Amino acid sequence: MNNFFRILLVLWLFASCSKKQDLLFEKLDSDKSNITFNNQLLESKKISILDYLYYYNGGGVALGDINNDGLLDIYFTSNQGKNKLYLNKGDNKFEDISTKAGIEGESDWETGSIMADVNGDGYLDIYVCAVVGINGFEGHNELFINNKDNTFTESSAEYGLDLDNYSTSVAFFDYDSDGDLDMYLLNHAIHSEESYGKASIRNKRNYECGDKLFRNDNGKFVDVSEKAGIFGGANGYGLGIAISDFNLDGNPDIYIGNDFHEDDYYYINNGDGTFTESLKNHFGHTSRFSMGLDVADVNHDGFPDILTLDMLPESEKVLKSSLGDDNVQMLKVRTEKLGYHYQYTRNMLQINQGGNNFTETALLSGVAATDWSWSVLFSDYDQDGEQDIFVCNGIPKRPNDLDYVKYLSNDQVKTKINSTKLLDKEALRKMPNGKVTNYVFQGSKDLIFNNKSADWIENDSIISNGSAYGDLDNDGDLDVVTNNLNSVASIYINKTNDKANYLKLKLRFGGKNTFGIGTKIISYNKGKMQYKELQTTRGFQSSSEPIIHFGYGKASSIDSLVVIWPDKTSQTLKNVKTNQTLTIKANTNRKAFDYKKLHPAVLPVFKKVENNLGIDFIHQENDYTDFLAQKLIPYQHSDRGPATAIGDLNGDGKEDLFFGGAKGKKAAIYFQNTSGFIKKPTPAIENDSIYEDASAVIGDFNNDKINDLFIASGGGENPANLDSRLYLNKNNQLSKATFPILTQNAAVVKAFDYDNDGDLDLFIGNNSKNNIFGSNPDCYLLNNNKGVFAIVENKLFAKTGMVTDATVTDFNKDGKSDLIIVGEWMKPRFYANKNGKFQEVTETVLPEKLNGLWQSIQSFDIDHDGDEDYLVGNWGMNSKFKASNEFPMKMYYDDFDANWSFETIVAVEKNGQYYTTMGLDELAEEFSGMLKKKFNTYKSFAGQPLEEVFDSKMLAKAKLFEVHNLKSGYLRNDNGKFTFVQFSNKMQVGPINCFVKSKFDGGKEAVFAAGNYFGVTPYHSRFDGFSGALIKNEKTIYLGNQVGIDLSNKAVRHLDIITFNSKKYLLVTINNKRAEIYELPMAKN
Amino acid sequence: MSQIKSNKMKFKIYLLGTIFILFISCKKEKHIEVTTDEYHASIDNVIQIMIHDIFSPPVASRIFVYPNIAAYEIIAQNNKNYTSLQHQLKGLDSIPVLDQKSGVNIPLAALIAHMEVSKQLVFSEELVEKFRDSLYKKWGDENSDEFEVSKEYGLKVAERIKKWMGKDNYKQTRTFPKFSVFANQPGRWQPTPPAYMDAVEPHWGEIRTLVLDSASQFKPIPALPFSLDKNSPFYKQIIEVYNISLDMKKKGDSCDEIKMAQFWDCNPYVSVSQGHMMFAKKKISPGAHWMGIVKIACKKTNADFDKTVFAYTKTSIGMFEAFISCWDEKYRSNVIRPETVINQHIDENWKPALQTPPFPEYTSGHSVLSTVASTILTSIFGDNFSFVDNSELPFGLPSRSFKSFDSASKEAAMSRFYGGIHYRAAIENGMVQGKQVGDFVVTKLKMNK
Repeated sequence: MNNFFRILLVLWLFASCSKKQDLLFEKLDSDKSNITFNNQLLESKKISILDYLYYYNGGGVALGDINNDGLLDIYFTSNQGKNKLYLNKGDNKFEDISTKAGIEGESDWETGSIMADVNGDGYLDIYVCAVVGINGFEGHNELFINNKDNTFTESSAEYGLDLDNYSTSVAFFDYDSDGDLDMYLLNHAIHSEESYGKASIRNKRNYECGDKLFRNDNGKFVDVSEKAGIFGGANGYGLGIAISDFNLDGNPDIYIGNDFHEDDYYYINNGDGTFTESLKNHFGHTSRFSMGLDVADVNHDGFPDILTLDMLPESEKVLKSSLGDDNVQMLKVRTEKLGYHYQYTRNMLQINQGGNNFTETALLSGVAATDWSWSVLFSDYDQDGEQDIFVCNGIPKRPNDLDYVKYLSNDQVKTKINSTKLLDKEALRKMPNGKVTNYVFQGSKDLIFNNKSADWIENDSIISNGSAYGDLDNDGDLDVVTNNLNSVASIYINKTNDKANYLKLKLRFGGKNTFGIGTKIISYNKGKMQYKELQTTRGFQSSSEPIIHFGYGKASSIDSLVVIWPDKTSQTLKNVKTNQTLTIKANTNRKAFDYKKLHPAVLPVFKKVENNLGIDFIHQENDYTDFLAQKLIPYQHSDRGPATAIGDLNGDGKEDLFFGGAKGKKAAIYFQNTSGFIKKPTPAIENDSIYEDASAVIGDFNNDKINDLFIASGGGENPANLDSRLYLNKNNQLSKATFPILTQNAAVVKAFDYDNDGDLDLFIGNNSKNNIFGSNPDCYLLNNNKGVFAIVENKLFAKTGMVTDATVTDFNKDGKSDLIIVGEWMKPRFYANKNGKFQEVTETVLPEKLNGLWQSIQSFDIDHDGDEDYLVGNWGMNSKFKASNEFPMKMYYDDFDANWSFETIVAVEKNGQYYTTMGLDELAEEFSGMLKKKFNTYKSFAGQPLEEVFDSKMLAKAKLFEVHNLKSGYLRNDNGKFTFVQFSNKMQVGPINCFVKSKFDGGKEAVFAAGNYFGVTPYHSRFDGFSGALIKNEKTIYLGNQVGIDLSNKAVRHLDIITFNSKKYLLVTINNKRAEIYELPMAKN
Repeated sequence: MSQIKSNKMKFKIYLLGTIFILFISCKKEKHIEVTTDEYHASIDNVIQIMIHDIFSPPVASRIFVYPNIAAYEIIAQNNKNYTSLQHQLKGLDSIPVLDQKSGVNIPLAALIAHMEVSKQLVFSEELVEKFRDSLYKKWGDENSDEFEVSKEYGLKVAERIKKWMGKDNYKQTRTFPKFSVFANQPGRWQPTPPAYMDAVEPHWGEIRTLVLDSASQFKPIPALPFSLDKNSPFYKQIIEVYNISLDMKKKGDSCDEIKMAQFWDCNPYVSVSQGHMMFAKKKISPGAHWMGIVKIACKKTNADFDKTVFAYTKTSIGMFEAFISCWDEKYRSNVIRPETVINQHIDENWKPALQTPPFPEYTSGHSVLSTVASTILTSIFGDNFSFVDNSELPFGLPSRSFKSFDSASKEAAMSRFYGGIHYRAAIENGMVQGKQVGDFVVTKLKMNK
């Protein structure tokens, strides 16, 4: 037995050793390092989270070489205790010189710490933030000027920086390009009567809460906030700050992350000492409870991207017992009434699209949920050439726990808490702890980050707030230091060592900006670009080492480094050997740098037509929220308009336009003349505005050589008018003809002569039965008999699925018009036309499991091999929906609670189990009796898989829908058999709703794709980031913003090519917006 | 003769024996005494659970009424002074008939039925069970036979009531659409700060009434049409609310208007925002407040058990009808709250003294409900019934004295005006509506013989 245990012990040791060897970061023992700093909160001070909402925000870390001995030193802030400065003695040994150095700090509550050479003498100084004026906190922000002998002198008053605000952090940077460092002060609001209400509160300056910008006038810092256009309101819950030249015009811009309801701020530097806050113009949506953030170019396009942290938990148990996003109406009030932007509770990765708009991809990229997160640092930790991510997180008590909130809301409890504090202990006890391990992600290609938390770091339950990176052991790779709450600080030593190559760059700029803050370096090697900008304020309340670091994998040298100095000059280093630390000094003969030439446009571009060719149609969606009537449906279907149809309606040979209206809104017809398009009042159409026009087609339906108009109705509203209408054209007057009564919500109509009898027949694809989402609708085939239509009775098109689009195409090359239809919760379905009779051949030609939330289909020979492939637009991957063959997304449909109304329950897989997408309160809106009695607390509900929430018998009885794939791509044609091939991830940021095929640049045929969709609950956020894409072939796809057309933040429904004065234009029809006309990107005509 | 005598003797011995046996058994199994206080306690327990579970005022009125009806139907089986509500309340019939010889303890069965139906209606069933089980234990120890037979009957009646209440359209209304917020309709109700909650129970007007012919039987006169024209009646009433609040501000927190507003603010959704959260601050619902007044009146008059049940039942029936009638109008007129209009058009920073509850303004729920309750209580306990209302004491508000139910209800109604959450028309027309509903219930229901 003894031997047995010995073997076990050995095995265990072996296992744990081998595990440890794999870690990328090894934690340095405090015995070895002598670093014992611990940000211990002092219970005796009688302050708690109940008194001060940011009680658990912790302290910062600043890394820098304070004595210029080549070794990186560490500074920690302690909220209530003494701050510490550790001098690096080499070999990962440190000496605590805090007392001697005189940097321990005098204020009662200290937060951020930032190192910068404030006085420009070549030595790093230390700035420490404080919260002053609440909870009896006294003191002020402190500036420790380096005496160059390992001691410092507190000189904040002398510099005008002895501020007594609610400070979080600062950034030192040269905003006015005058050669010295200015300062942005990030302050945080506290909850008060003043901080609630409209967004416009930010316009009224508040001394304690409002952010401030200080201009450095020869060592005196002058508050220029108001003149410079910096908001300073009582609602500025500033927790995150990053400085970066986001639009690459040479002037540093500012991104501020604000907690709670206040929007983040995106300040574009105007280059004249002022800023223009422009968040709403450039970001579709942001984090809601924004905390720390960081900036780096993650996709090698040379533009800085942003990751903002929030507090979305990964664990189901925490997720479902914590407060979630707003409900749909509250978000509406917040955005439309109170003036805030769209904000959702999760980390947001904002991908910079050429310095203009940002596309948010956190869900797609796999970095959306890292729980209660404070600090994030981008860096290439494994030196493979891709940016990785280090997130530190955790909170001792979760005040957003739903059971705690419910407990607190008991009035008796509340009264006592407010008056006597007797119940503080009890209240604190009710809050569950939020200790979670830090997260690390390995960057990879195509916008994907892989969660390496289990492999790269030792998992613990320590709470880490501030963090900073730097090379502590001078081995070239980047180590990370975290300031921990109630625990000794963690020193993560990077063990990449010689496994991969690096370059470490130190900058010496001269003047007062000695370290060259704001310098950009572009590294080029074998066609791959890496881009970095030197800013030290990063993460949360912290500053990192003032260096630029690149990883290069196995490359022993690189082609070139372009250094762009803060004064818009540059110098280039060629054939640089890797694995070295280079100190780059600004050349005296450096050249002026022209930012305009940095990313020149190389492609022919679409151009917006100034006068829109006279088309002034604005689609207005009617005010209807599907979720009010059908509370559990996964998305809306009342907002898929407008219908668009192109064709000659007045017999002059010119294309005219029809735009459908939403329910209660007027449709419009535009006639084309030589000068443009003119709206033609058409009473027959306008009087039918009780219908929501879902799809329309112009064609000659009665063979009188004049085009008529057919409109299919939909909208899914309650009540709905669903009659489809045929308007026959006589003497240029449209009048309604008889047509069979149809009663389902149409999505698509196609006119074609399926039976080859010389007239136009109709196919109508339906999306839903009215107000019974989940009940499969039928499609209709209507035969035209001399202008009289009759439904062709057949079982083939019965209960086809929730159809969204169809295409008429000869996929089997037999000369007959076949049909392919696509839709939601179904696979693309192929119908072969056998002499006027359709036969479904889906399983023969497309055998794979391929249910999707398909939105669109377009024929296109994408691989130029001579046969038609089919582009298929799906939901995309930047979504909380999740689907695969192994774990399809599921939707159950039944009258679960036997109350004569049908419900849908959507569930997705997580760690092998299925969970409802909705929380207890949302489900209880339909199943209150059933669920509120079963789950008396949120804790009892949270983490329960689907079969524990709903009885398995009940689920077994329900109709089950599945989705296997959410990616857009194409069906590749190989001799009449089809295989799905996915597009790259830049095409998966949202639904692709429509395509149009044309010879855009006068060359080969290409397809333009567009999409986006907003008809989802705040849980899903908004799908707003797809700027459109020009698909030239399977390898060459350009996003819209690369070809001059940016359709992000627009829910595009239709793309059409129209001809005006023998020139082709692109017509973009958008839900709830004005239709747009673009000139095609003709290279040369 | 001797034969007779001897027979007499035998009879005497037999009688003595019987008495003796009876005496013995009496000693062993005493009669279970159920007090009015225990009935009050069961009501109070439900009120406590409602604070825990968070129910909106209309739903709370439903939780009060059915358990009381169950208890009342049992006492009406045995007390000639009270008439059953069968065929008087919509759909109520087939109450299990009491077998007079079965030995059922009527108050005991009534209380059991009350607890059983309450349990069905709340979420936290275990809190009813906890309260019930301690009583069950006590009763079982006291006299298990009497307890069992009474329980059996009490539960039978409870079952019947549950089946009946299951058909009141409550379950169906759960699935009906939520209230639509249309930001572009100026006079239409919108969610109010700070929690911007969804509108509460937009389909409560579709709940089956008990006594009223329909929810709209006592439809109040239409709300004033929305207008921002300074001379319009609507605008004038906005300004009145605004000016009163400025006036009160000058007087300070100790003025009587503020005290009234606080006292009658039985809004269970007063919400306070704090930290990473928005949470509901709960007090008792207005219905619970009037249940408290029923208790005060019963105690003051030393009402017996049956009268206590009767008083609770009749008042809760009236309140149930009051909410249906009032909510029917609220979601007919969908009138915007003063806070929304004043913030948008007059004073961006104005806040009402009370937090605006999450449903349309017209008519005032407190006004309808309180008038109905006071009308019914007056019919039971008489006019000029003075009392000291201490029902808000547990919530930190002092007692208030009233000379009659009517004066209490008038104050309750006006308190909403002073609270800045209603215009005057909603108060005045709400009181008219309440009087009509109350009078109708009093005349239509035949409960006392």
